[in-house]
Amino acid sequence: MDRKDKIIVENLNLFYGETQALKNIALTVPEKAVTALIGPSGCGKSTFLRCINRMNDFIASCRITGKILIDENDIYSPETDPIELRRKVGMVFQRPNPFPMSIYDNVAYGPRLHGVKDKGKLDEIVEKSLKGSALWDEVKDKLHKPATALSGGQQQRLCIARAIAVEPEVILMDEPTSALDPMATARVEELVRMLSSSYTVVIVTHNMQQAARVSDITVFFLMGEMIEYGPTQQIFTSPKDRRTEDYITGRFG
Amino acid sequence: MGNTLRGDKAPQRIIQTISIIGVAIMLFILFFLVKESIPILKEVSIFQLLFGMEWYPTYDPPDYGMFPLIVGSLSVTLAASILAVPLSIMLAVFISEICPRKLKELLKPVIEILGFFPSVVLGFIGMVVLAPWMIQHLEAYSGLNLLNAAFLMGIMIIPTVTSLAEDSLASIPKDLRDASYALGATRLETITKVVLPAALPGILQAVLLGVMRAIGETMVVLMAAGGAAIIPLSLTDPVRPLTSTIASEMGETPVGSIHYHALFFAGLLLLLLTLGLNLLAMFIERRARRLRA
Amino acid sequence: MNTRLIKDKIATGILWASMALVCFILAGIILFLVSKGWSAISWSFLTEPPRNQMTEGGIFTPLVGTLQLIVVSMAFAFPVGVFTAVYLVEYAKDDIFTRLLRLAVRSLAGVPSVVYGLFGLSFFVIFLKIGASLLSAGLTLGCLALPVIVGASESALMAVPQDYRDASYAMGATRWQTIRKVVLPAAFPSIITGAILSVGRVAGETAPIIFTGAAFFAPNIAKSLFDQVMALPYHILVLATAGTNIDKTRPIQYGTTLVLLALVLGITLIGVIWRAHLRGRNQSLK
Ligand SMILES: Nc1ncnc2c1ncn2[C@@H]1O[C@H](COP(=O)(O)OP(=O)(O)OP(=O)(O)O)[C@@H](O)[C@H]1O
Ligand SMILES: [Mg+2]
Repeated sequence: MDRKDKIIVENLNLFYGETQALKNIALTVPEKAVTALIGPSGCGKSTFLRCINRMNDFIASCRITGKILIDENDIYSPETDPIELRRKVGMVFQRPNPFPMSIYDNVAYGPRLHGVKDKGKLDEIVEKSLKGSALWDEVKDKLHKPATALSGGQQQRLCIARAIAVEPEVILMDEPTSALDPMATARVEELVRMLSSSYTVVIVTHNMQQAARVSDITVFFLMGEMIEYGPTQQIFTSPKDRRTEDYITGRFG
Repeated sequence: MGNTLRGDKAPQRIIQTISIIGVAIMLFILFFLVKESIPILKEVSIFQLLFGMEWYPTYDPPDYGMFPLIVGSLSVTLAASILAVPLSIMLAVFISEICPRKLKELLKPVIEILGFFPSVVLGFIGMVVLAPWMIQHLEAYSGLNLLNAAFLMGIMIIPTVTSLAEDSLASIPKDLRDASYALGATRLETITKVVLPAALPGILQAVLLGVMRAIGETMVVLMAAGGAAIIPLSLTDPVRPLTSTIASEMGETPVGSIHYHALFFAGLLLLLLTLGLNLLAMFIERRARRLRA
Repeated sequence: MNTRLIKDKIATGILWASMALVCFILAGIILFLVSKGWSAISWSFLTEPPRNQMTEGGIFTPLVGTLQLIVVSMAFAFPVGVFTAVYLVEYAKDDIFTRLLRLAVRSLAGVPSVVYGLFGLSFFVIFLKIGASLLSAGLTLGCLALPVIVGASESALMAVPQDYRDASYAMGATRWQTIRKVVLPAAFPSIITGAILSVGRVAGETAPIIFTGAAFFAPNIAKSLFDQVMALPYHILVLATAGTNIDKTRPIQYGTTLVLLALVLGITLIGVIWRAHLRGRNQSLK
């Protein structure tokens, strides 16, 4: 597997006030592949994910040193517009969080923000995005019904459709299936595999099997440090670090 | 076990009996206002009361047309709402979405305390500060007029509307804001397109309750509205709302006179208006809660 | 910077300005009254009754009258309000009576103060033949304070963790014993802060007492519940709108207004600060 590096992280440190939540993270995320972040609770997976689209900007106590490059541009340099960045780097959250508006308006929200006004164009984007998230067939007859009436799994796929509607290059997912039942989880996992042909996906998961099933690269975090990084196959069959092995085999965490 | 439970019944009965007082007061208020209003309906037709243009209760023969008083109440309330509601909603948005945490801890009690300002104090400010200012700068005739009262009434309802609207904004989950930011929205876009629409029922309720307070507000209009029972044609015309009519005339009319009953009818109108707004606000709240569930 | 960001910055500026405007109004009113009223206030202003048709002297009588009204209204509203809240939180089933009670309390909270005045006049003064008096006016104010106290006590009781009740029941306590020994003591400080805030409201009210017992002028403080009383808010109204010499008594008006404002805001401030303190303590307990 020799892909171009989409995201390069160099010496990333993150502090919440005095406490350091990320220590010297350095890794690369390949383009058009799924990278899974695993590690015990509180090790900084979500924190790291939120660095990549600068959602940590909203936390007053949060301070960051080091670099994150996306397509060779430092996203924390003063020239970077975080709003433009977030258009390029979409995010799907742990709990499905559709806006309390119609299915259509949820998907059209992003494109409208970024200046798409033409009805025909919007229809097209909505259809394409919902097809892209494998939800189209289920909702095509009720696009103008409230999104909150959908099932949890459908809502999460709607959130994915909403994220891809702005044509991002990277999609960040923070435990996207932890609030879903096994059936819905399977559908979302399938979708994640599908997405990886056109997007760079970074996914946080607590579920080892899920990481093994969906990802190409796996990164193991422990207490704010990156312990191991490599092709998923290798991490799960022959981890180099003892702590990775312990975690994967369920001996702690 | 049967024994202890029986011993437990007595306190429950007593407490339930005490709590009947609240219901009783509300029913008594309704009952006594209706009872004391009925005699006027035997003297004057309800149409004449509601739509009569002349309020001369002490003339001979007297006139009991309350239309100017009703218009007085509604016009001051409307003007106050136009001044205060947008400001209150902006303030609520500021507190919930923008304000740094430290400032918020200070600002919320300050707004709450503003809500405790005695209305007689504000009415006094209207007389000694706003009135002279208006005479000087707006060439108003007396300075005690619709606009003066509307300013003060606006100040009265800012705390009510702000704190209820802020509660509603604060109840919107952070998830929704995150989702919007993650799509590249600015804070303004997130507020106007996601947060405000989601909080709308609560904000509407806040506005209704603010209007309810304004309609019932007495001292401010008694002291600052000028007290002329006319239909106002400009903001600097004096008005005589229902509340100030009751407060200023009840003391000077003999108990049981027609005028006395007419004033009770005015009170009944106020009660029904505010009760209606209150019920509407409760209805909106119930519906919003059911939709969320 | 693109236009979206510029709009965002402008809107943020406007919102900051709205905050500044409200603070400015509030501070302006307080500073104005302090600067104008300060010079009128002295020890003798607080301890002497009004003299010479209220154009001279102090405000002792209305000040004491206001305190008396507070005592009477709370003597009625506090126990009734707290027990009503106990019923709503601890006993109430979802039946007709409970719904009616909730509806009544919510409705009472919205009744205009002048309507309370009319009710007090027709019910306490005339129907119960109490007459215009400290008792009638105090009870009328008590009715007005009732929903405030019920609301505050309800949230205080609901904030008591269910664990406390369960622990008490598990030891074989009856419901009433649990309420009296566990729930009420735990909720009591918050209930008191709610009552303090309702006192702040009662102290500043004018409309409910105009026809139920407030005196235009009384030579002495009320000696019994059936005497009329002077009250600070009504005194301000009288001096500012109906006094014998409105302009001459301006300093007294400013002084009285400042005293009333200080009294009301002082009471409110104590309530607000104490409540914040209690909340902080509960937070750290959790
Ligand atoms: N806003 C914040 N302020 C202060 N500390 C925080 C904040 N958010 C997270 N932390 C701390 O940073 C550390 C990492 O948290 P993070 O949420 O990134 O963990 P995680 O790996 O995602 O855990 P989980 O698997 O439970 O989601 C934790 O110790 C957490 O307490
Ligand atoms: Mg996490």
